[in-house]
Amino acid sequence: MKVPIETKVNNKTYKLEVEARFTLLDILREELKIKSVHRGCEHGECGACTVLLSGKPVCSCLVLAPQVDGAEITTVEGLLKDKELHPLMMAFIENHAIQCGYCTPGVIMMAYYLLNNRPEFTDEELRKGIAGNLCRCTGYVHIIRAIKAAKEYKDSGNWW
Amino acid sequence: MKERERRLVSGNGFYVDDIELPNMAHCIFAGSPYAHARIKSIDASRALEVSGVLAVITGREVVELMDPLPATSNYGAIGWHWRIPKAYPLAVDKVRYQGEPVAAIIAEHPYIALDAAELIDIEFEQLPPISDVNQAMRPESPLVYEEWGDNIQVHLEFNFGDVDEAFKEADRVIRVSWHEGRVSGFPIESRGCIASYDRITGMLNMWSSTQAPFLGRQYISSALRLPTTKVRIVAADVGGAFGNKVNWWKDTVVGLGSIVTERPVKWVESKKEFFLTGAHNRDVTWDGEVAVRNDGSILGVKAKFLKDLGVEGTNRGSAAMGIIPACCSVANAYHLKGIRIEAYGVVTNKSPYCAYRGYGKDKGIKFMERIIQVVAHELELEPEQIRFRNFIQPDEFPYKQLSGYVYDSGDYPAVLGKVLELGEVSSWRQKQEQARKQGKYIGVGMAFSVEPAGVAAPHCIFGGLTQARVRITSDGLVEVENDQTEIGQGSNTTRAKVVANILGAKLDDIEVKRDSSDMPGSGVYSSRGAIYPTGALIRAATELKARVIKFASHFMNEEPAHIDINDSVIHSTKEPTKRMSLKELADCVYFHPGPRGLPQEMQAKHEVLLDVCASWFSPNTAQNPTSTYTTYCSGADVAVVEVDVETGAVSILKYAHVHDAGTLLDKDIVEGQIFGGIVQGIGEALSEELVYTRSGELLNTSYTDYVIPTAQDSPDIVIGHVETPSPFTELGQKGMGEAPIIGSKAAMINAIEDALSPFKIRITESPATRERVRKWISESQRRLIP
Repeated sequence: MKVPIETKVNNKTYKLEVEARFTLLDILREELKIKSVHRGCEHGECGACTVLLSGKPVCSCLVLAPQVDGAEITTVEGLLKDKELHPLMMAFIENHAIQCGYCTPGVIMMAYYLLNNRPEFTDEELRKGIAGNLCRCTGYVHIIRAIKAAKEYKDSGNWW
Repeated sequence: MKERERRLVSGNGFYVDDIELPNMAHCIFAGSPYAHARIKSIDASRALEVSGVLAVITGREVVELMDPLPATSNYGAIGWHWRIPKAYPLAVDKVRYQGEPVAAIIAEHPYIALDAAELIDIEFEQLPPISDVNQAMRPESPLVYEEWGDNIQVHLEFNFGDVDEAFKEADRVIRVSWHEGRVSGFPIESRGCIASYDRITGMLNMWSSTQAPFLGRQYISSALRLPTTKVRIVAADVGGAFGNKVNWWKDTVVGLGSIVTERPVKWVESKKEFFLTGAHNRDVTWDGEVAVRNDGSILGVKAKFLKDLGVEGTNRGSAAMGIIPACCSVANAYHLKGIRIEAYGVVTNKSPYCAYRGYGKDKGIKFMERIIQVVAHELELEPEQIRFRNFIQPDEFPYKQLSGYVYDSGDYPAVLGKVLELGEVSSWRQKQEQARKQGKYIGVGMAFSVEPAGVAAPHCIFGGLTQARVRITSDGLVEVENDQTEIGQGSNTTRAKVVANILGAKLDDIEVKRDSSDMPGSGVYSSRGAIYPTGALIRAATELKARVIKFASHFMNEEPAHIDINDSVIHSTKEPTKRMSLKELADCVYFHPGPRGLPQEMQAKHEVLLDVCASWFSPNTAQNPTSTYTTYCSGADVAVVEVDVETGAVSILKYAHVHDAGTLLDKDIVEGQIFGGIVQGIGEALSEELVYTRSGELLNTSYTDYVIPTAQDSPDIVIGHVETPSPFTELGQKGMGEAPIIGSKAAMINAIEDALSPFKIRITESPATRERVRKWISESQRRLIP
């Protein structure tokens, strides 16, 4: 069974007819070819498919197609400005926070949400904030460093 | 620079799941619900009626269309007790573990394949399952492979030094037992591949999430009865591997699916399937005695070592072989007089065993680090005193260990000394005393690991193959290729840096090519990247530089001895104005004037290209055939924990690590490996365990119940380095990446035991889950308060 949906992804509006059992993850990867959204566990456990759904971070594998109708979605592709990397992405590169890279887009979206919604945070709060995003390579040390460096970019006005 | 990272951070990955080929179909595996059962019949007709289903492959088809899976190591050939079953990637007559693939469904969409999987009618006749290794060893046990007559796949005895003399000289003999739960890496990206068969050329092209495309080609072509020349595998971006992706048994079915349907076929493994059929590891038990003197000298170890291989340890992964480094690593960093180990690799109705970070060496080292803790406790000494007393000293290198491994270099006292300082051990011990008065249980634990790296073993796929190719292109850039597959360990960056430094080229001028089966080499595992592939790369780049200088000498009219290269510009060291760029030289060599303009002597030798291939073999293994490994980096860990005795929860108050990886090729990358490994080891110590029921059912098949550490569970880590260059590698670098997962697990367990010392608890099993910690405490309370 197919359902019609209208959704805005990275500021572009799409009218789609998709299988009702498709998840937002399927729609993004298969219909819109947005490959940054990674299939990790498909159970909402690993956070590799994290996107912003109307401003809030969600595991896109847990959102069904009809729920996407009328929603606005942001993925890492939506953070690029004329293909220029977002300062948050630069902070990840500069701090060696990317190893295999599979969890990275999900962590970036979660960190983007946290940085935009919390003016200040302790290390402990930051660790709690990204606890829904599993990473098997980094031990999180460089990821924490990168997000803290990104906060400095944000505080100094290097942000969008 | 950092091109790969720029790609990955912005959603431009090339992971298997990202690749779409025209007309591509999808493969799903259907697994057995039972751990041990005879297959009486399979009827796929209802599944085949589903619209969009292209083919269903079962055991019947694989027996007809493929050869059995090849063994990855075979020591039966040299007379050892080493059995190799006849194994296919899909169950043929019976299933031997829960989740064992019984059928592969190829369909237009994965969801259609999943629908169809439910319609395959299979009649099973259940057999008694064996999920316990001790039960499996009893003569009356049900058999996993009836043709063997028992369940012992491998039985080996290791005799190093003079163990009888060691026990004769001992003041005391202390018993030590230690069991490690079954765990694995389970990277966030599961396994997967795409196969695309061309009937006209007979060529099978594959893209795979693999650590070793060249070995994969060997394996897949053998199983599918294809010449190796007709299989080509390109390594896609790999979303984490940790040893779990040095196996290709399921890939063979995907290849067969493409041959049968004549369509490109993609398989992306679900997480549940990865847990159920994945590469499992650890699950070992040591039962031993250690001979000591009262001054803390460790003289000898006698032990029985049991390894639960699951269904088998050779065909679906290289697992049985891990017993060898496990037993050879027991002596670790210490002088001992003798070691005797009787080792068994036993089959049970559990998922196949394969590599996971540490492979086998981890098991011996952790056993020794538990021994040190127990001995220290028994002799009422601090554990670091035992280590300092028994350490191999800095002036003893190269040091031939009892096992025959020849340790290259090191300064173990310096490494341990530094970590005691960074971990603030003496101040934590004072706090520990005060805390106990307030009913708080703080513990200080430590571990020391000597990690054998860079393997070249005979009669297996891990023989030490490598090749590198470095060339200067016609426009003066540098192309680099070897078997150092990028799996997230940063090999693209280190390769570019190594070559840029040798050639004097700009880092931005280096292009590291994607690894494929075109390049002979064993790939990346066992921390070999910095040894074998890097060794080949250094040789190729060094020879290429000599050739560049020879050609430049001709075109610049300068003596070779006075030519140097910096920032991709060749210049005379005598007359700095005499210079040409690599681009200008390349244009001379390739086209203007081209080979005709080269000196006659070079033409006569056919040396007319800026393109060099080289291989490499370990000088350590060459000089010392008993030294299967090349370098032996060392690491020391200090963990300070607090145990909540009411809930059994363990929190980490301090974590410090000091590492000696020889000359550091890239500090960020080395530290990334260390941090990641430590946190994986903490997961193993506290929460990770694959739990099988008595009926052989795996209880945890997701990250919800197989709990890997989150950012919240992971500590800040203080890190330090000691650099003792290896004499066996070109730059003094050592392979690294496994010591941290080994040391952190042992340090955590030792810290928990130290915290619980008022309860007189001797930890003999891991992980130390909250339930287990509570169980230990309540058992101890019953024991202490009758």
